[in-house]
Amino acid sequence: MQIYEDYKDHADFLTVYVREAHPTDEWQMKSNVKDDVCYAQPKTFEQRVAIANDFTKRYKFPLPFGIDEMSNAANDAYAAWPERLYIIDEGGRIAYRGGMGPFHYTPAEVRGWLAARYGAVKHEAPKSPAGVAPASASGAAAPAPAATPAPVAPAK
Amino acid sequence: MNRFWKWTAGIFSVLLMAAFAVLSYMAGSPKDAYGMVRYALPHMHRGTLRLGSDAPDARIVALDGITRFHIRERTQQRPLVLVFGSFT
Repeated sequence: MQIYEDYKDHADFLTVYVREAHPTDEWQMKSNVKDDVCYAQPKTFEQRVAIANDFTKRYKFPLPFGIDEMSNAANDAYAAWPERLYIIDEGGRIAYRGGMGPFHYTPAEVRGWLAARYGAVKHEAPKSPAGVAPASASGAAAPAPAATPAPVAPAK
Repeated sequence: MNRFWKWTAGIFSVLLMAAFAVLSYMAGSPKDAYGMVRYALPHMHRGTLRLGSDAPDARIVALDGITRFHIRERTQQRPLVLVFGSFT
C-alpha cells in the first residue's frame, strides 16, 4: 500500500483478484482459520465477486481493483497464481516481471523500478517504543491481496 | 537381478520419504506438504512472458460484478503496476 501511495501520481495500479490460494475445500492453512479468512474455492463468478468485496472492505484496500473471470484468462495469461507482480510500460510491454509468489513475490523490486524512474521516496522511521521493531523504513512492503501467510515465505 | 530391483526400489523409497520429509518441513506439516503437491504445484507456472514482450490483454470485472474493462485499456498513459493475488 505504501508503494501505491508513493507512486500513484506517476503510475497506475491495478490489483487483479484471481482464484483462491488456500480455500477451505483445498489447501487451507491454520493461519486462514486464525485470521478468519475461510472461503471455499468459488464455483461461480458471484462467489468470486463476493470474496473480492469482502477483501477490499475488510482491509479498506485503496488500490484499483478488478476480478479475473471464471475462465481465469488473466491468471493464465500472466501465470499469476497465487500472487505475482508485473509492470507494463506505456507502450504495452512487460517492463518488470516478478517471480512466482509467494517465494519470489518481491514488492521491493517494484519499488526499485519505480524509484529508478521517478526517484526514491524516503520515509522517516516511525517513532516506536523501545523493544518494538519499527516498520520498514523503506516502506517496501506493498500489499498482496493474500492476507494470510504462505507456508515458507509469508505474503504481506 | 531380483536383488538389483529390491535395492532400486529401496533407494527410491528412501529418497521419496526424504523428499516428503523436507517438503513437510518447508511447508509446515505433512498435511501442508500434501496440500502443496495436490493443490498448489499444478497451478503454479513460470509463464512465458519476457521483459519487452507485449503484455497480454484480458478482460477484468470491476467489484460491482458488472462493469468490464481490459487490462490494456489502462496501459496507454503511464506504467501500470499489476498486482495479482487472492484473499486466502
